[in-house]
Amino acid sequence: MSNETYTSSNRIFKELFDEIGKVIVGQREAVEQILIAIMCNSHALVESNPGLAKTLTISTVSKALDLKFSRIQCTPDLMPSDITGTYIIEDVGGKKQFRFEPGPVFSNIVLADEINRASPKTQSAMLEAMQEKQVTVGNKTYTLDKPFFVLATQNPIEMEGTYPLPEAQLDRFLLKILMDYPTEQEENEIVNRYTKNIIPAVNKVISKNEVLELQKLTRDVPIAEDIKSRAVNIVIATRAKSEHIEYGASPRASIGIILAAKARALMSGRNYVSAEDIDAMAYPVLRHRVILTFESERKGLTTDQVISHILKTVK
Amino acid sequence: MDPLLEISQKLQSDYFRRMQLLFILDLISVFCIVYAITLIFQMEYFLNKSSLDARIPINIIPPILSFIIAVIAAFLRHKNDHKIKFNLLIESKYPELKEKVRTAYDNISESNVIVDSLKNSVLSGLTIVSASTLLATSVVVTKIIIVMFFVSGVTVISSQPEKYTIPVETIEDNIIKITGGNGNETSEAVGSPEDFGQAGGFETKPKIATIEGKNIDLTIFPGYEQGVELVKESQIQNPFIKSPEFPVDIMGSNVSDGGYSSLLKKTETEKQLINKFAVERSKI
Repeated sequence: MSNETYTSSNRIFKELFDEIGKVIVGQREAVEQILIAIMCNSHALVESNPGLAKTLTISTVSKALDLKFSRIQCTPDLMPSDITGTYIIEDVGGKKQFRFEPGPVFSNIVLADEINRASPKTQSAMLEAMQEKQVTVGNKTYTLDKPFFVLATQNPIEMEGTYPLPEAQLDRFLLKILMDYPTEQEENEIVNRYTKNIIPAVNKVISKNEVLELQKLTRDVPIAEDIKSRAVNIVIATRAKSEHIEYGASPRASIGIILAAKARALMSGRNYVSAEDIDAMAYPVLRHRVILTFESERKGLTTDQVISHILKTVK
Repeated sequence: MDPLLEISQKLQSDYFRRMQLLFILDLISVFCIVYAITLIFQMEYFLNKSSLDARIPINIIPPILSFIIAVIAAFLRHKNDHKIKFNLLIESKYPELKEKVRTAYDNISESNVIVDSLKNSVLSGLTIVSASTLLATSVVVTKIIIVMFFVSGVTVISSQPEKYTIPVETIEDNIIKITGGNGNETSEAVGSPEDFGQAGGFETKPKIATIEGKNIDLTIFPGYEQGVELVKESQIQNPFIKSPEFPVDIMGSNVSDGGYSSLLKKTETEKQLINKFAVERSKI
């Protein structure tokens, strides 16, 4: 099965991009990074301004992958049970008994929209589900369905009344994906597509089992020792005393870069990890794990600029 | 053995055999150059002239010395050969194998669908790799031609030394010129007799020395009524000025005249007598 999936992986990814491209105009890099996070069996955080089709993108991906999708709009009054689910009393044959009603977290793909608006308690419940891939309600533990992928979004503006995710929680997201405004040409295309009566439809490209197969294959992609060392050295360099970085990334970032690079290689149809994969994945893996100094922020430096500098210096 | 390792080892041994050949060619080239220099500059003559140990035949020193220099030079030239990362060398020559070869080697013990497909693609890629591509045959051939040229050059020089060697006199003259050892500079610095002046002093051409970046005139100028005064013999009226008489009451200085060692040899009675004499003498 693995062999078949591997030989057809090139075709699968090409068809996936084509199918998603029917609905999403541009944002190729963001779509690629979402798929990479799914292939790595991890989660992603998306930061973008409103109206950039975050929800549409992730729902399209779930349709193309034939996965169950649910969306949670995070608000300050959202309770953990609203996410995980709760016991409800129902009448069965004249008897009252508790029945567990699963929450939206019991899906394959969960969009936690504006996660920073949820209270820390709810955020913790969500992040626990992400990490453990299981939910404990009352005394009972429920295992989440596989694959399980959370795409949390943050709005960089309107920070009032929000609960920014602590660094330790941010570390649980494999990637931080930035979605930017489309180009003029892309925006014209968006307008053309969405001002007509025909709404583009997405077809299923692969099954849930194939997604799981691809997740296994991702970890099988070989990597050379010197390229692996480069990934580790990049992460270590973020921890070195620097005028730009207050706190560096954890070893989880090293794992993240290598895993994401493997997924990228697989998606590019390569049977080995290239140094180019490491460099490309260093940005989304590190940008939410590296905390800049006040001085750097005052100067208007971005995390990506600091990562660029590190990539240039690390051999 | 893994077919990948097998093909790699074969390529590696072919490559290092060529490198060994290059080492020998470099050694011969350097030997020819150095030996030719010793012949042209007649090293043997100068060795004969110097006081070297007579047990060593002088005529074998130049070739031995040339060989030692050649070995050192060839060794230095090829000292990093064994440090070459063979996989990276292949990747640099074959861009289509870039990053693939080292990944396949680093994961040689692994086996799964992707690793196996990588190994197969590297294996098929390595079939087109040859040692002649990694170390171009043209380089080897060029070096052989250069060596042949040098060898024939040395042969010609050694067979007709009178035609190609530099005469000993020319070499010696040049050595003297280079080292500046002609022995005339002292008289020039002091000055010729014409330089002597009329006013009791002598004037020379200034002798400038540069010390710590400063030019310093080393000419010694006479002071007033001091120094050397050259006058004609007939003009001398008082050739000798009598010095004041030495006062008789002044005792000699403490300069030792060997008296102490002779004093030690005296008997105790003699020593006491001498001591007494000295005390009495000091009272005068």
